[in-house]
Amino acid sequence: MSYALQTLWHEKARYAAGVGAVAFSAVLIVLQVGLLLGLFTLTSIPVDHTSADIWVGAQDVRSVDLGQGIATNLHLARLSEKPGLVGQPEVFLANFANMIRPDGGMERVFVLGSSLDPGAAGALDVLTADHRAALTMPNGVVVDESDLKRMNLKGIGDTAKINGVEVTVVGTVRGLRSLAAPWVLCSVTTARKVLANFVHDDQTSYLLARADSPPRAAQIVKELRAEYPDMSVYTADDFSFNCRWYWLTRTKAGIAIGYAALLGLLVGAVITAQTLFSATMASAKEFATLLALGVPRARIYGLVMAQSWWVGVFGVLVSVPVVWGLAELARLGGAPVMLRWEVVVGAAVVTISTALVSGLFALRSVRRIEPMSLLR
Amino acid sequence: MSPYPAPPVLRATGLSVSFGDGAARRAVLRDVSLDLFPGQLALLMGPSGSGKSTLLAVLSGLLAPDAGKVVVDDDGTPVDVWGLSDAGREKFRLRHTGFVFQGYNLFPALSAVQQLEIILKWGHRLGNGEARERADDMLNRLGLAAQKYKKPAQLSGGEKQRVAIGRALVKDPTFIFADEPTSALDWENGQKVIDLLRAAAHARRSSIFVVSHDERMRPYADVIYHLDDGVLTVERNPVPLLPAGPTEVSR
Repeated sequence: MSYALQTLWHEKARYAAGVGAVAFSAVLIVLQVGLLLGLFTLTSIPVDHTSADIWVGAQDVRSVDLGQGIATNLHLARLSEKPGLVGQPEVFLANFANMIRPDGGMERVFVLGSSLDPGAAGALDVLTADHRAALTMPNGVVVDESDLKRMNLKGIGDTAKINGVEVTVVGTVRGLRSLAAPWVLCSVTTARKVLANFVHDDQTSYLLARADSPPRAAQIVKELRAEYPDMSVYTADDFSFNCRWYWLTRTKAGIAIGYAALLGLLVGAVITAQTLFSATMASAKEFATLLALGVPRARIYGLVMAQSWWVGVFGVLVSVPVVWGLAELARLGGAPVMLRWEVVVGAAVVTISTALVSGLFALRSVRRIEPMSLLR
Repeated sequence: MSPYPAPPVLRATGLSVSFGDGAARRAVLRDVSLDLFPGQLALLMGPSGSGKSTLLAVLSGLLAPDAGKVVVDDDGTPVDVWGLSDAGREKFRLRHTGFVFQGYNLFPALSAVQQLEIILKWGHRLGNGEARERADDMLNRLGLAAQKYKKPAQLSGGEKQRVAIGRALVKDPTFIFADEPTSALDWENGQKVIDLLRAAAHARRSSIFVVSHDERMRPYADVIYHLDDGVLTVERNPVPLLPAGPTEVSR
């Protein structure tokens, strides 16, 4: 075991503050970014829960909730020119709508009207065969359980008015949590009735298509983008990322999280630096003795840097179960935390680096140590 | 008994040190000269504040004098310690000097054997095996075989000071500078410590320079100096006196 590690272990209580501070920073960064990423996955739910490879929409659509009506036939024709598509492209209606709740209150909802055929690209994967069958009922809708209360609905059989059209809840699903407005799933027919003022009969919000392979889908998207700048074309992955990125940047939430993370790092750095500084000062006489005996000062710098490295490493190790536990807790509480490995590794690198920088600050105390001090 | 007829390994001449500025300026060492010999334990006594520690610091390369020279025998070559660069002096200290301080200054986290090892590994760049072997051997010789793997908290005061002496001796130095090495110990342990230092002088032919105000040390010294108000006097000369032949250092 190295001298640095041995010292850390021997004086656990002293170094605990530094280790705790590093762990605190790491937990703060990972959880905040994780919560944010988790939160913004909600913005791309229609893209993530459908099986289309290619999304076509109006010009400059940067997020799935910003769709505008596009001429169905014109865009169908553009798509069908492309070899490599599987099956017929489907219309997909998606638009905000106003709901009058049973209690008379107003709620903004987001209507998603898709094909209900077995294997349809636009049918959300949370819909069972029973749901799809039920949705063929005129004006039938399916909503997420978590949104029932928000919409003041009791459950299946309950009715409400959306854009003046009376709809009936024919089923509920789980896992379609909403951010801005509850998702309301229905057939294309129902959606057309509800969204008549927004998407005309000869229009659709999106056209969804499948390609015979992901590279082929990417190729088709590239070609369509080049040929038709008056429409938006995305691969599903690309569109999903764009939805999240749009919300992340538009809401400036990323900046807020960045500041919070920076603050966490700063607090961590100050505490770590203070811990290392006081630990070094506590060993000043021992270090002075080494210097008197001719041990180069660089060796002592090395020891302090090694200690700061270990403080960082232990801090990160301590943070792992804490992050995991808190993420589980958040999940149980209904807030999905997205622990991407890039974020986890990034947080580890950033916090260990911060610990090392704190070590550099602590070196100032080593510079002041003089063997002469032992003779006074 | 002391193996004298040998040239001095250190010759200090005309050392002066003052502290403070202007009216507050105070002379701590006034034109001090002395020789240190191999195999000899020199004891420097004097009232507190008489400049004893300052003289030790100047002789050992830790504090620059205002005037005077400290010439040492660096493997046959006379070297002026205060004419060296800082790095040169650090190298000189590494190669030639051991220190024992009033406090033990042992790392709380390290075992006795590691306290010695760290000097050999970090200072002398010895490998793990050789460093451990030499540290082990030194502790055995200091009667600390059973304490090797104990940390300072598990050692008595006397044992801690013996480990500190081991740390000073393990690199086989030409000089050992000890500043009040027994002042924190009872006399029984103090005696052991001074015995060890004297044995190191006589058996290893190191030159030991001990600063102390403990009168009970007197019988153990080969030569006793007295410092009072910055003026050094020889209180007792070694017997027999050195034949004052020309030597590398004195030339």
